[in-house]
Amino acid sequence: MDEFALGVLTNIGLFSFLALSAYLLLVAGEMSFGQQAFFGVGAYAAGMGTALWGWPLAGAVAFAMALGGGAAWLVGLPTIRLRGLYFAMATLAAAEMFRILFELLHFQREIDGELVGPDGTQGFRGIRWVLERGFEQHEFLALVWGLLAVALAAFALVERSRLGATLRMVGEDPELAAVFGVDVARLKLAVVAAAGALAALGGALYAHHNTYIEPRNFDIMLGVHSLAYALIGGLGTALGPLLGVLVDIGLLESLRVFQGWRMIVFGGLVAVLLIARPRGLLDEATVNRIRRALVRRPPVAP
Amino acid sequence: MLIDLVQNTLDGLMLGSSYALLALGFTLIFGVLRRANLSYGPAIMVGAYAATWVHLQFHAGFLALAAVTVLGAVATGVYVERLCFAPYAGGRRRTPEAAAIASMVGSFALWMQLEEAATLVLPRHLYSFPSFYGGPPLALGPLTVRVEYFAMLACAVAAAFGLHRLLTRTRFGLGVRAVIDNADAARLAGVNVPRVFLLVFALASALGGLAGYLIIAAHEQVTPMLGMWSTLKGLIAMMLGGLGSLPGAVVGALALGLMEAHSQWLAGPQYRDLVAYFVLFALLALRPAGLWSLLRSRSAGPA
Repeated sequence: MDEFALGVLTNIGLFSFLALSAYLLLVAGEMSFGQQAFFGVGAYAAGMGTALWGWPLAGAVAFAMALGGGAAWLVGLPTIRLRGLYFAMATLAAAEMFRILFELLHFQREIDGELVGPDGTQGFRGIRWVLERGFEQHEFLALVWGLLAVALAAFALVERSRLGATLRMVGEDPELAAVFGVDVARLKLAVVAAAGALAALGGALYAHHNTYIEPRNFDIMLGVHSLAYALIGGLGTALGPLLGVLVDIGLLESLRVFQGWRMIVFGGLVAVLLIARPRGLLDEATVNRIRRALVRRPPVAP
Repeated sequence: MLIDLVQNTLDGLMLGSSYALLALGFTLIFGVLRRANLSYGPAIMVGAYAATWVHLQFHAGFLALAAVTVLGAVATGVYVERLCFAPYAGGRRRTPEAAAIASMVGSFALWMQLEEAATLVLPRHLYSFPSFYGGPPLALGPLTVRVEYFAMLACAVAAAFGLHRLLTRTRFGLGVRAVIDNADAARLAGVNVPRVFLLVFALASALGGLAGYLIIAAHEQVTPMLGMWSTLKGLIAMMLGGLGSLPGAVVGALALGLMEAHSQWLAGPQYRDLVAYFVLFALLALRPAGLWSLLRSRSAGPA
């Protein structure tokens, strides 16, 4: 594979974490405009861990996820009872606050005769752990997709469990869920924190792939894109968000034919697609149909 | 010091009146459809780009430029309504929540499309745009007010007043209010609901186009950022005032303008935005019904 293809595949994996995080919230019935903030928190935290403090990547990623989950939990605490556009706007306001805080964050140290660390709007360069340890590009790709596979496996487990059914019930009808004895606010808060940690995981890897991050990487555009990915792909399965990312980054951004026209094609495509399938390509009904078709086998003769 | 305070307050009110024009259109759409149109700002940007193109080609006068901006915004608004809002209006299997999310994401997708289309036609990062007024700013003693912003304030007041008259005194307004109250009942009573939706979109986009023209004439420049800027400022002002309330939109917009003018003067542009977002976040967490409900309950007492 050439370097371009490797880069595209890595990017698809990285943004899938963010799309999955938006998907998780959509399944629980909340629409967030602010998941990019936790992606950013993860990127900054992990970048500072390896580049400033010399931690190993695993430690930095764990730290990033804890911080991202914690930040999401803090944002969720006062906003979790808001619904629809109210929740979306509250998360947007929080995310923009995070972006401005990244702009105000100056924390540089001299390492090997070079200033390293976040430098406000100038960004944060030199997150070179992956390069310095001699990792090849395809090895990093394997790491990203390996972690993505773990996340998808976790999703699959949850979807099959009682927790998954509860989650979908909360998303469909929170009042009904409350009648059944579900502590809706607590469950949603846990979902918000998990989605934050997931976005932070993506962000941590993103920082190490790009080696350079800046506050405007994590603006509202990224957040609404991740929401769109989850919705185009479909809300029926965790593979939906992946499909959404694949369509945009894999197909449109990478094919040179669409140069300069990418968003004109993508925008129109999404709008038309949503008319036919308002809950995405792989929506709940489709996923059920596929599952039935796969499970139903011809009767075996005794 | 006191002069600065008064001047900043004045500037804030002027800035707020531009937000008020944006928020009125946004609120009209949300109030009637209960769905947010993220392409509201980009439609304004298309109007602004059309006007810029006409300006560059023909050096047209300011009335023609204003008309082109409004027409461009209305045409784009109708396009967005047809593609992202009309298809989800009826439908038995679709819940309002699902329709709201689909419309919002669809309108975001068209936002991306419109932005790219506009930059294909006019690729530069920044275009200068003529103001409709060439003279010096008005001076009131030590205070100054730019004429462009004064016109914005006048237009915002006229638009709020006209919109109120339209909604309370005309047959069309009656239909709109019936749809707001209960779309199903309005349909049974003979109101053509899809037509009301379309006309509301056109009306809101016309208001947005007017706002857009006044804003680019005051800034004397056009950039692709205008779309995002308009959507964000309109949304924030609407949420601050109280979702779906026209007086709330004006109150929220003026509050946002005042807040921005004062915090920018005190602490600079980054803190200006930080303060605005913090107040929005705190208000949503503590009092989601918005500033207008706060003012109203204060004056009317507990209902």
